Amino acid sequence: MENEIKRLEEEFQKDFQEIKSSKDLEALRIKYLGRKSAFMQLFSRIPTLAKEEKGIWGKKLNTFKNKITSLLESKAGQGENNEEKIDLTAPSVSREEGSRHVLSTVSKEICSIFERLGFITIEGKEIEEEWYNFEALNIPSEHPSREDFDTFYLDIGEKDKGKYLLRSHTSPSQIRVMKESKPPLAVISPGRVYRPDEVDATHSFMFHQIEGFAVAKDMNFAHLKGVLLHFVREFFSTGVELRFRPHFFPFTEPSVEVDISCFICKNKKVEDSKKKCSVCKGKGWLEILGCGMIHPKVLKACGIDFKKYKGFAFGMGVERIAMLKYGINDIRLFYENDVRFLKQFSL
Amino acid sequence: MRFSLNFIQEFLRVDVSPKELASLLTMAGMEVECLEKQATDWIFDIEVTTNRYDWLSMLGIAREIAVVLGKKLKVDYPSPVKKPSLSTRDIVIEDKRDCPYYIGRRIEGIKVSSPKSWLQERILNCGLTSVNDIVDITNYSMLKWGNPLHAFDADRLEGNIYIRRAKKNELLVGIDGKERILTKENLVISDSKKVIALAGIIGGKNTEVTETTKNIFLEAAVFSPLTVRRSRRAAGLDTESSYRFERVVPSHLLEYASYEAAKLITEVSGGKNKGYKVAGKKPQLEKKSIMISLNSLSNYLGLVPLKSKVKKILQNLDFKVKDLSKDKMIVSPSRSRFDVKREVDVYEEFSRIYGYDKIPSEIPFLKRNLAISDQTAQYYFKGELANFVALLGFKEIITYSLEEKEQLKIEDNGVIELINPLRSQENALRSNLFFGMAKSLKYNLNRASMGTGNRGDLHLFEIADIYSKTSKGFSETSTLALSISGKKRDFFFLKGAIEKILNFLNLDNFEFKEEALNNFTNSLRINVGNCNLGFLGKLNQQQKNNFDLKEDLFFAQLDLSSVVKNRGQKKYKSFSSFPAIWRDISISVKKSIKFKEIEKIIKADNRYLASLAIIDIYEGKDIPQGHRAFTLRIFYQSGERTLTSNEVDCFHNQIRESLNKQEDLSLR
Repeated sequence: MENEIKRLEEEFQKDFQEIKSSKDLEALRIKYLGRKSAFMQLFSRIPTLAKEEKGIWGKKLNTFKNKITSLLESKAGQGENNEEKIDLTAPSVSREEGSRHVLSTVSKEICSIFERLGFITIEGKEIEEEWYNFEALNIPSEHPSREDFDTFYLDIGEKDKGKYLLRSHTSPSQIRVMKESKPPLAVISPGRVYRPDEVDATHSFMFHQIEGFAVAKDMNFAHLKGVLLHFVREFFSTGVELRFRPHFFPFTEPSVEVDISCFICKNKKVEDSKKKCSVCKGKGWLEILGCGMIHPKVLKACGIDFKKYKGFAFGMGVERIAMLKYGINDIRLFYENDVRFLKQFSL
Repeated sequence: MRFSLNFIQEFLRVDVSPKELASLLTMAGMEVECLEKQATDWIFDIEVTTNRYDWLSMLGIAREIAVVLGKKLKVDYPSPVKKPSLSTRDIVIEDKRDCPYYIGRRIEGIKVSSPKSWLQERILNCGLTSVNDIVDITNYSMLKWGNPLHAFDADRLEGNIYIRRAKKNELLVGIDGKERILTKENLVISDSKKVIALAGIIGGKNTEVTETTKNIFLEAAVFSPLTVRRSRRAAGLDTESSYRFERVVPSHLLEYASYEAAKLITEVSGGKNKGYKVAGKKPQLEKKSIMISLNSLSNYLGLVPLKSKVKKILQNLDFKVKDLSKDKMIVSPSRSRFDVKREVDVYEEFSRIYGYDKIPSEIPFLKRNLAISDQTAQYYFKGELANFVALLGFKEIITYSLEEKEQLKIEDNGVIELINPLRSQENALRSNLFFGMAKSLKYNLNRASMGTGNRGDLHLFEIADIYSKTSKGFSETSTLALSISGKKRDFFFLKGAIEKILNFLNLDNFEFKEEALNNFTNSLRINVGNCNLGFLGKLNQQQKNNFDLKEDLFFAQLDLSSVVKNRGQKKYKSFSSFPAIWRDISISVKKSIKFKEIEKIIKADNRYLASLAIIDIYEGKDIPQGHRAFTLRIFYQSGERTLTSNEVDCFHNQIRESLNKQEDLSLR
């Protein structure tokens, strides 16, 4: 047995000198330590030996095995040196990741900010009844205020002609929730809305809005301001300020339009046309949403006692907010789905 | 609406810079969209919201400016002369609901000439066109007081003046030269023989004031907003006059407007006031008294203002304020403020002048009714699903919900059409998500936007609603669509994605069933029991040509409401801790035999069969014509112990034997 081990070792040393690649190395390992190797055959003879010999030969064989193993391992790193060199400047293999649409991520981000304040998100339907889209929101038919809301009407059946429409804003979601559930309420509602506008760089007949509202006994305008200020600071940047400009919406009283201080030029109202901020056009302010205290008539239409309860509501266009945040200059980009656009906003 | 600063100064001295004024007005709710200098004048272009009818006149705007400047507006109202009475003709109102009040004045012996420069400047700077001095004076008066007037050539009038509904098919050629066929929707002014004006909208060519006009009949009236609105819609035009009538005109100023215009005409064009006649009655403006409470105001705004401050602001707005108690006041808004009706309207008036920036910002502790919490499920479900599909390498797209009905109707006869579409390309609500997907794909292929890096593979998805008429009315259903295209991808890649998605949703018992579908070859239905979840398939050649697609397109659609109904709970499934052993098997099978049948034979005894994978599918050399060869790898495993080689060989041989017994199948 002694001789056999010695012969094996000599043979191995010879073969070992000739190793050129990691492939050779592996072949050597199999030849000397593999299942059918001479070494394993020696090993399998141990059980047949006398008791005191078992230990001795077992040890010797293990020493042999360890020696070979460590030699092989020592060569393993060097083996690489013999590998063919490749051109590492060649382009990488492109991996196409999946992605969410930027309007989805922006919409989700906005909803999440309000959710953390205690709002919950409920979606409405896009096919809406005229009453929910208009009358309940204090926009009577034949009233000039309705002209601000051009609307697509749907042909669903002779009987219901003119009853169904594609919602022109997400406010009907507010009506549906208020009508079906008792206050206190704090709800945010995102979704698609439709208006017959010709498509150009800033208009689209389909776009996305987010409506939010809260109704409780002690709700007031200061709360509306606080909630919105928290939102813009979390969404845009911690330093932004809000400006509340009086406006008119039939469904809120008071009604206000809200501007944020331009987060690009930091509200520097530069008038020099060359140095003017391209985002706010030197005005220093950017209009981002409309809001107000819910009109008592709206509460009443939903069966809520307006003497007991008060509420605020706000609504914003998701496209506009995404355009401001990412400097997107054409609304059509959202619906063309050019992969070069999509892949810039992966998740 | 445009106004001129010089015109405003007829009412009020403005002692701040135009820029400063613009900013003050904007912050009080009169948004100045554009400000420009015009010679010695400044032009303000403002947005007039639909509640502020009073801003449609210089007087109304001047009142607002006075408020923001903290000044008191003093107006020198003219003292109308109502003599001599007009005796030559009657004014007859058919229905007082259409026209409650009408003032006619006759002016004789005028000479029409081109307008004076001061008059022209007022008209042009407010965005109107200058015609001649008579027309310009009526427009000047409208701009100043808010009441549109109209001057007729009195010599071309025959008999009395009637304010009545048009008879069917009566005609009027307007001063714009257009002939209109009238209906009962139209309120008209007529003389005894002919229609001479569309009331409150446009005058007739037949009685127009021209250079040769010597005597005029000057109309000042109040017409019903709704009547004017319907009439101008039926006639298909919109004028400065109708715009004001539709929004309520200040009837309490009508006498001033009529008298001042007549006076100006005599001053500018000569002539004498020769007759005055009224029909109907000046509408009584209801006196509004609104009780407000300082306490409620504070609770509404979240701010505790001084009572004196509240009173001062309201009084500046020309509202009368009377104290009732320490807390309560009675507020009577000015007559021109038709929009202020309720407590909250008064709160708004106070807060917009006080300044919203002075109201504190506070985050409320939000309470909410527990019952609404279960309505959120749909939203969160769609978000989770979309994230998972993106994880599988698909890119989310958003496409229009509107499509061309002709295209949709091939598929579905429940298509919902729009009554008033913008264009024929978007005249119906889509009943599937396919066309939007195909258009996006084509858009990208045409622009080679995928670049060279990814061999043109494109994996897209959309989650959106589809719409359809049903026996009960209509349906709007959340739907997921997936598509893949490109050289490296095939049907089974998409099928795999569907399986992954349904597994993700813990929907384990679904089945694919072959079914021929329009527009697709090789299509499968996806079912759970009797419930149809959706389909997948390869776009057929005809549709590929239709969209001019060169690559194959695989498309799938899942009805999310059915998916939600059938989804299960996620639950941990234990797995074996003993090693699996595999054996390969190669078979040659006639093509008519489906893989599913082979799978069934192999899985007949599934005691130790852990899984089955296809390693290779091969056709060609060495394989009989009409056959294909599979190399399958079968994994054996037990949950209780390590299987021995012998056991596995034994199971494997059983499978080999049962496969060997099949016709048209041979072991290789």
